[in-house]
Parts: sequence; C-alpha cells; structure tokens
Amino acid sequence: MEALELKKIMEAYDNKLDKTLSLNLSSMEELQFEKSQRNTKKILKYRIFEVVIFSLLVIFLGWHIANNWNQTHLAISGIIVHVFVLVALVGSIGQIVLLRQIDFSKPIVEIRKKIELVNSHGLLFIKLIFLSAPVWWSYAIVAVDLFLGVDLYVHLEPDFVLRYLVVNFLLIIPLVWFFNKLSYKNLHIKWVRKTIGLFTGTKTMNALEFLNDIEEFEN
Amino acid sequence: MKANKKDTFITTINTHKKIIYKIVNSYCPNREERKDLEQEIIIQLWNSFNKYDSNYKYSTWMYRIALNVAISFYRKEKKLSTKNDFYNESSIFSMEEEKSEEETELDYHLKLLQEFINNLNELNKALMLLYLEEKQYDEIAEILGITKTNVATKISRLKLKLKKEFQKNIK
Repeated sequence: MEALELKKIMEAYDNKLDKTLSLNLSSMEELQFEKSQRNTKKILKYRIFEVVIFSLLVIFLGWHIANNWNQTHLAISGIIVHVFVLVALVGSIGQIVLLRQIDFSKPIVEIRKKIELVNSHGLLFIKLIFLSAPVWWSYAIVAVDLFLGVDLYVHLEPDFVLRYLVVNFLLIIPLVWFFNKLSYKNLHIKWVRKTIGLFTGTKTMNALEFLNDIEEFEN
Repeated sequence: MKANKKDTFITTINTHKKIIYKIVNSYCPNREERKDLEQEIIIQLWNSFNKYDSNYKYSTWMYRIALNVAISFYRKEKKLSTKNDFYNESSIFSMEEEKSEEETELDYHLKLLQEFINNLNELNKALMLLYLEEKQYDEIAEILGITKTNVATKISRLKLKLKKEFQKNIK
C-alpha cells in the first residue's frame, strides 16, 4: 500500500461521502440537550452522595473515638476504621474533581484517562476491603459498640486476641503486595484479571482494559 | 444575539460536516444509531462553542470533541449492540450503480480500508482517521495528546499493517 495509492482511495472515499452526506442542522431545537448531559450528571450525583455519606461517617467515627479515648481497644478500633473511611472519602472527592475536569475539547488521551478512571472507581472499594482484612475485627468492635452499645472486646478470649494479632500482622505484607497487584497494569496476569472481574463487574473491567490500551498508546 | 450565535454555529458545522460524518461512520457500527451519535456530537459541539479557544484551528477543536464523544458512544454502545451493518445495502460502499472495472476495484479497496479501520481499537482508529485526513503530525499530536514522534512511529506501524492487510486480500 503506497502513499499515493492510499491517497487515491481516500479521495474516492471523500467523493462518496459528498454524495451521501446528510447532516440535518436546521432543526437545532429538536436536539435533546438534556439527554446528553444526563449521564455525567448522574455519575456526579452518585459521587456527591458517596462524599456526603463518607463525610458523615468520618464525623461520626471521630465522635466515637473522642468518646472512647480512655478505652484503648475502642479508640484504636475506631482510628483504624476512621483511616479506611478517610481513604474512601478522599477517593470519592478525587472522582468529583476528575468529573469536573472532563472537557471534551481537551486532547483525547487526557480525557479518556479521566473518564476511565471514573469508570474504574469500583476497584478502590474492592482494594480497601482486601487491605482491611487484617483489621476486620475493628469494624465489628466499632459497629457492635455503636449500634448495640455492647463492648465486644471484653468478651473475647485473651488467647484469641493474641493469635488474631499475630496472624493478621503476618498478613499485612502479602496483602500490601496483593493490593499493589490489583491494577490495570497487571491485567495480563490471569489471577489478577479473574479476581478483579469477579469482584468488580464488566464496567470496571472494561475501563481498566482501556486504561491499559491508553498507556500502551502513549508509549 | 442567540440566533446569531446559532447561525454562526450552523455555518461552521456545515463547513466541517465531513469531519462529523467520517467519525460517525467509523465509530458507529449500527446504522440506526448513527443519527444518535451525530446528535450527541453536535450537542457537545454546541455546548462547547462558547469555550472555543481561538489558539487552535477550528478543525482541531472539532476533531477533539467529535472523537471524544464518538469514543464514549462506541464504548457504551458496543456492549449493547450486536448488529453491525457497515457493509449492508445502505453503506456508502454499495454496489448498486453500474460501474467500470476500475471503480469496482476501488470500491473493494474502500471496503478493505473501512474494515481495517473498524478493526482498530478506539485510539488507533482516531489516529488512522486523522492520518487519512492528511493532518500534519503536530496537529494529530495536539488532537490526541501524544508526542509528534509517537504519532510518526504509530502511523508507520499502522501503514505497514495496512499494507500487509491489502497484500493478503488482493492477489
């Protein structure tokens, strides 16, 4: 395929287009402007809702920590849960910032990246759930204390607490490794792909695959 | 004032309507959905019309918007749509009219080219369309947001691939 030959084909393509072109621009009033913006606004609403929920949780947990400052186990459990909620809150705020930055008149690669990062947001929650595995008991201790007013910790056997702490301390390193592996950059690894697919669904998976394509395209 | 703006917009779009049509034709496999994509692009262009930065060529600005909308539309619709009628009787490559042997051959080449473009991923498709529009490499780089060197490398790879594709199909 020589350049000249390609040019000839393209000229023919242009001629065909001239014959078949049928853009109807006269009826601008009929265009559904609202429909076009509805989707972005819907995602923005979801993210704002997330920010409100996480902000309330941050305040609520802060109050819980302050109230139980003298009970070390409740304060520590509260702080652990607080940290994870803060990370989720920052993630959701980041999403709103990204959504506000989406301007279709900007370069394609830049905008596609932002859109796909918004679409792959679900992965953050999955990663947080996995990363908080060693401290799941903190959630139970905080929740039972907050909603039922029962201090679960005093009912736990000291041996169980010790074993739990040791085992979960040892789990931290593999989980951090696992956390880092769950990324669009590792989609070529079968188990990473299967794990993400299993927990996040098609929309997130497609977004991650496209992020990979974008990165490949940039290099 | 608003009517004046609308008139300017319609005139500008009319001047560059081929851009929209080519993009719609390349990113929308389903003929029935092409009108929707066309509408989406025009709406987005209209919404961004006030923000048009005169530092860029109008066509650069238009390509960015149209391609961004088309890629979003394609990614959303391809999950839902199974129909593909790029080559049906209403395609621009129809063979209804009486044609000379040379014209028929050209039509076949056009089909091959369209097929090649359709099989590219969303970003390479954009690159190929811009290349076929004979855009300068720096303008392509500006539209896509990659470096000029990268544009040159990718185009040369795509051309090689296209050449192989044609060689395979034309004996």
